[in-house]
Amino acid sequence: MSLASTASAKTQPSTLARLFARQELALLVCLILVLAFFSVTVENFFSVRNLTNVLGQASLPLIAGIGCAVVFISGEVDISIGSLLATIALPLIIIMNDTNSLLLGVGGALLFGLIIGAVNGYLTAYAGINSLIVTLGTMFIMRGGVYLYTGQRAIPDDASLDSFIALSDGRLFNIMPYSAVIAIILLVAFGYMMRHRPFGRQIYAVGGNQEVARLAGYDVRRVKFVCFIISALLATVAGIILAARVGSAQHTAGLNFEFQVVAATVLGGVSLAGGIGSLTGMALGVLILQFLSNGLRGLGLPTEWQLVITGMIIIAAVAFDEAKRRRANGG
Amino acid sequence: MSVDFLHPGEGVVIDKDVPALELRGIDKRFPGVVALDNVDFTLEPGKIHALMGENGAGKSTLIKIMAGVYGKDAGTIRLRGREVDIKSPRDSLKEGIKVVFQEIALISEFTVAENIFLEGYPTGRAGSIDWKKIRADSAALFNRIGFNVDPAARTGSLPVSQQQMVEIARALAHEARVVVMDEPTSSLTPNEVSLLFTVIQRLASLGIAVVYVSHKLDEVFEIADTVTVLRDGRHISTKPIGEHTSDTLIQDMIGRRIDNLFPRQRGAAGSKVALSVEKLSTAKKLDDVSFEARAGEVLGFFGLMGAGRTELAKAIVGYDPIISGKITVDGSRLAPHDTRTGVRLGIGLLTEDRKSEGLMGELPVYQNASLASLGAFARLGFVDKAKEHRAVQDYVDRFRIKTPSLFQQVKNLSGGNQQKVLISRWLMRGLKVIVVDEPTRGIDVGAKSEIFALIDRLAGEGLAVVMMTSEMPELLGLSDRIAVMCEGRLTAIMSRDEATQENILNAAIG
Ligand SMILES: Nc1ncnc2c1ncn2[C@@H]1O[C@H](COP(=O)(O)OP(=O)(O)OP(=O)(O)O)[C@@H](O)[C@H]1O
Ligand SMILES: [Mg+2]
Repeated sequence: MSLASTASAKTQPSTLARLFARQELALLVCLILVLAFFSVTVENFFSVRNLTNVLGQASLPLIAGIGCAVVFISGEVDISIGSLLATIALPLIIIMNDTNSLLLGVGGALLFGLIIGAVNGYLTAYAGINSLIVTLGTMFIMRGGVYLYTGQRAIPDDASLDSFIALSDGRLFNIMPYSAVIAIILLVAFGYMMRHRPFGRQIYAVGGNQEVARLAGYDVRRVKFVCFIISALLATVAGIILAARVGSAQHTAGLNFEFQVVAATVLGGVSLAGGIGSLTGMALGVLILQFLSNGLRGLGLPTEWQLVITGMIIIAAVAFDEAKRRRANGG
Repeated sequence: MSVDFLHPGEGVVIDKDVPALELRGIDKRFPGVVALDNVDFTLEPGKIHALMGENGAGKSTLIKIMAGVYGKDAGTIRLRGREVDIKSPRDSLKEGIKVVFQEIALISEFTVAENIFLEGYPTGRAGSIDWKKIRADSAALFNRIGFNVDPAARTGSLPVSQQQMVEIARALAHEARVVVMDEPTSSLTPNEVSLLFTVIQRLASLGIAVVYVSHKLDEVFEIADTVTVLRDGRHISTKPIGEHTSDTLIQDMIGRRIDNLFPRQRGAAGSKVALSVEKLSTAKKLDDVSFEARAGEVLGFFGLMGAGRTELAKAIVGYDPIISGKITVDGSRLAPHDTRTGVRLGIGLLTEDRKSEGLMGELPVYQNASLASLGAFARLGFVDKAKEHRAVQDYVDRFRIKTPSLFQQVKNLSGGNQQKVLISRWLMRGLKVIVVDEPTRGIDVGAKSEIFALIDRLAGEGLAVVMMTSEMPELLGLSDRIAVMCEGRLTAIMSRDEATQENILNAAIG
């Protein structure tokens, strides 16, 4: 008899859910090991102050990572997010300086992000150009544009609105940085969407098998288009927080940020091939890398070594994942 | 006005006088191919309409036009008398046309239950997905049909046959007016086929128009009310099944008669042992299997689904690992789980699952065919293209592989013609032992007779042919000896003369 016929169907969670549960469990164990190791070896590592600080730092890759993971799951990539971070700071700061209104500044930034997302999405989904190429292109164009516009000088935030500054150093109940709170809310909301909303499942289906998704009546192009917009808007939110931290719009803001995010997303088990992975995994990937680099710095290890170690961990994690998946499919 | 298989009888008012679907003067061209030429096709509500024709006749293309996968070049489509424009699968689904495609179209990472409701998730509170209902409804659906599939399983981990059942169930999960099945039984057991037929009859009694595509004549005679035959993209005939005999149906399909499906040309088998398998066991299924195949014989393996024929086929060519046992090809020991030596020793496998284990859809016909025998065309380390093309062309002619040229991408061939390309690949390479797993799955009668003749000739040339099949006529018509398997064990080996349908089936049950 076949395997399936004996399983008691109704009560068990899906095989896939179990697989993911295990994958996320493995990441969670890694995170705990990292935390345990540095708690022992680094003084003051395991303090509320340090842990919440790291969470605050992690909030940018967490927020942008949601978009990155969503685009990956749809079977595409978006590497323009680092440049976007720098670009949207321009409308944000300029509008705030002119109008003294956070709302208008944020609105302008989001509108700008929306346009960039629509351009990325249109060129990929409707014009059929490879998304790596498209977003590589917009990445250079935006970075170049910021250099040209600023003449490589920072544009300071002259409005200095309290609400804006709070984004950088404010803490909820004096404990949790606001940026981390925003990241958690977005994670929960998008995590829910990916699991329980039809649109989230459509993203998985499109990334899992585009042709099958089309046969099921999905508008594949629209789904992808929307994913790029989600990614750009989330990167915009990250960019607003970053601008609050540095207190200006800068041409070097968010340099290499996209790679940091891609690394964490891949570490979190989100496959570049599409259709596989979860936001929980991505978040764990971000936290592992953030705590690792914080701990290594605590040990006094130079940044160069942190880079080398991060690289090795990513390759090892993906290789491990791949081996596991192959075993699951062969059995 | 609509019918939902999950809740039969709900609000069913179907006007039996208006055709459910009417296609008129449909044309469809692909580069170099006229796939459909002025085809008419009318579906009556509550009737089962068989669509037949050779490989490449245009059956799947016609279905894909109804399904909105391809646009038509000319013609009109009417739904219940109203002219409609079907531009995408979404339009077609909305009109209640549900298709079970020839190639499995499921998301392999999703659970079975989710795949069944892919087209439209039941939602509850505030538009969120009602997973409970999805699980309960898909379990209920399988129960109702009688298929044994775990709704919680990851779809990609299931064997092809169960995926096919998922496809079928999916077509019944939503309201439907027209249900189209393109070769739905190609990997089902006789028992599952009869369950499917009950379902189809129930659909018809609910007033749904059913299109049924199959190469199996007995199925068509059992289930269909009407038969339409296509040949070379043209409409040949539409008749009530009662006006057909097998002969007239075959005549319509291939334009000629076939007198003898199993002409035996070869002499008696030799005595030289080409393949010997001793006490073979695998982790998954096989339990202490021993047999020998001699040069020049066809050794047929029969068994019900899950008997372990495919596993055996994969193990003896070195594709799958084994726990214990010994495999010898032409006197040399084959290291288990090592296809390289397998290839060198001259044992090859023609798989049952051509899509995932054999063909490379993006590559042209000639490369797919010559892939395993490039060495034969090599000159100074380069492939002699002219020689390669000549050899492939020879097979294209012999099997009547329908392709505009050797350079057509294989994914654009019809399902049956893809199968023929794969067979050519293995035959092109000199082999001592060939293992074939369901060699005629999805292949039309005309080509079937050619493949039978070819298997006969291969054995005549001294190859040992190990044939896994679930088709009784094929087994009895071709084999010199017959081996029967049940749940991973070999339960009988008999000569063709001793074999009867009855003692084979007895051994298959165990
Ligand atoms: N996308 C495509 N591009 C080019 N040619 C195609 C395409 N799809 C089908 N064809 C060609 O159209 C013809 C009809 O193919 P179709 O798949 O409809 O045949 P079929 O009757 O379903 O055959 P089978 O019984 O083998 O499944 C074939 O010659 C095939 O090669
Ligand atoms: Mg077909």
